[in-house]
Amino acid sequence: MAAAIETKQLTKSYKSRVAGKINVVDNLDLHVEEGEIFGFLGPNGAGKTTTIKMLLGIIYPSSGEGYVLGKEIGDMEVHKIISYLPERPYYYEHMTGPEILRFYGSLFGISDEAKFQGLLEKVNLHRDTTKTIAQYSKGMQQRIGLAQSLINDPRLLFLDEPTGGLDPIAHREIRDLILGFRDEGRTVFISSHELSEVELICDRVAIIDKGVIGRQGKLTELLKGGRIEITVGGVEESLLKGLNLLDTNIRTIPTGFLLDVPEEQDPNSVIDAVRAKGGKIVSVVPRKKRLEDLFVETVTNKPAIGVPS
Amino acid sequence: MRPILSIATTTVGEAIRRRVLLIILLIGLLFMFVAPGLGVLSARSETTVLRGMMLGIIQLTSAVIAIVLTVYMIPNEIERRTIYTILSKPVQRWQFLLGKYLGAVLALGLMMALMSVVLIVVFILQPGGTRDFALIADLLKAPAMYFVQMSLLAAVAIFFSTFVAPLVNFFLAGGMFLLGSLFNPFFQTLQENPNTPAGAKLFAGLVNTILPNFANYNVQNPIINPTQVIQNEGRYYIEVTMYGVIYIGILLVIGILVFDRREV
Repeated sequence: MAAAIETKQLTKSYKSRVAGKINVVDNLDLHVEEGEIFGFLGPNGAGKTTTIKMLLGIIYPSSGEGYVLGKEIGDMEVHKIISYLPERPYYYEHMTGPEILRFYGSLFGISDEAKFQGLLEKVNLHRDTTKTIAQYSKGMQQRIGLAQSLINDPRLLFLDEPTGGLDPIAHREIRDLILGFRDEGRTVFISSHELSEVELICDRVAIIDKGVIGRQGKLTELLKGGRIEITVGGVEESLLKGLNLLDTNIRTIPTGFLLDVPEEQDPNSVIDAVRAKGGKIVSVVPRKKRLEDLFVETVTNKPAIGVPS
Repeated sequence: MRPILSIATTTVGEAIRRRVLLIILLIGLLFMFVAPGLGVLSARSETTVLRGMMLGIIQLTSAVIAIVLTVYMIPNEIERRTIYTILSKPVQRWQFLLGKYLGAVLALGLMMALMSVVLIVVFILQPGGTRDFALIADLLKAPAMYFVQMSLLAAVAIFFSTFVAPLVNFFLAGGMFLLGSLFNPFFQTLQENPNTPAGAKLFAGLVNTILPNFANYNVQNPIINPTQVIQNEGRYYIEVTMYGVIYIGILLVIGILVFDRREV
């Protein structure tokens, strides 16, 4: 599949009087395929927005290469087929939704009123055409932002924290819109630390911390390695330790013992072995590895609580 | 061209809704309305004093509006992130800067036009007011020249806004306006005086060239006192307008070069 975004050792550094040269983005190798929803994750100050700004040609890389839809970053031709929704965007407050779309449309030379109306319907703002942006709620502002980002029918959308600060209803609306973009064949590059959202919608993710990519790949592959927690009682620890439980971790808890069984291991064999020693199975809880666990592991270099690795 | 016009139009829409600018404008207009009552305080002819006061109010109000309007223009766009949605579209940075500048000048023009209308209305309605349209047209030459002057001031402020913070810009642009209005005639005299030492002449010439000559546009004296005349008036107005346009062009080109390299 063709690459929508490709960077090779892309670096952005700043000079600080105190700390000297700081690499905000450090030798970034990123690969985003066309037609996928790609999650670009990282804590605050990790270099997410700086990366997006470099990809959009708003700031200039210190070194390295970057290509967006096959063209070098900063190429104006690419700007005709991409779009960007910044974090907490601001739109000219005196304008109404249709006026916003007319303004952004004019930057592309688009003045198709039917298209603007269609976009307003798509983001469910067609009934609020007389309201100014100042009268919009946060969710409405985000939706008009998404509408303006679709004016040029983009092949690639950059969304920076698209659900930041929104209520659960607005979250869901935005999520559904983004999923719709993938169905329409667009590539979506989402920068976020709303991990539960990203886990629901992204095909692949990259986790960046201190300007360096820690993990990158398909979400299904990155989240392999879940555990099954089996709580047992009525058995001595020495008996449990005598069992051949392979990679199973045993922890003492007030009600007995907690066995952490790797996802790959058959839990029935563990359950049978415990029962054979007279132990009682209190509970069996599958613990899927979540994106949050992967994120914490990557950022802190420590296994996430609840999922020992 | 289309993106420039769109950005300019939007800038006008924003500017004419900015409360701080409207308050400055309202204060200016208020002073213009009460100015006829203040003429009695002077021993000189009431009309002379009124003309001087009204034109002074227009110039001062326009200068404050020009500076306040432009110093925050680019920093605000960056702070609110509107610049990112615009620059991620097929819009070059020079188009953005030029659009912002043209929008500022258009907004300034609208506000100055309103003040000029008030100027005419006050002159017609004051006790013993004039209906002499030739006299009114003569009076309007000053606001027209002030408009070029303020467009130049806006260009100075936009130029500085590409690399300094708004507060610094406020003092830099304001300082340039004061220096260019008050000291340029002094340096010009120094440069033209045959008794000036060569070094001082060179310095005066350098300052005269670099510092925008805002004093060129202070044409109120011949309008206030009809005994003072500008030799070849039409040519003078054309020349100083050309000077302003060229200076604005140079400032915008340098501003664009700086802005093009700036990280936003």
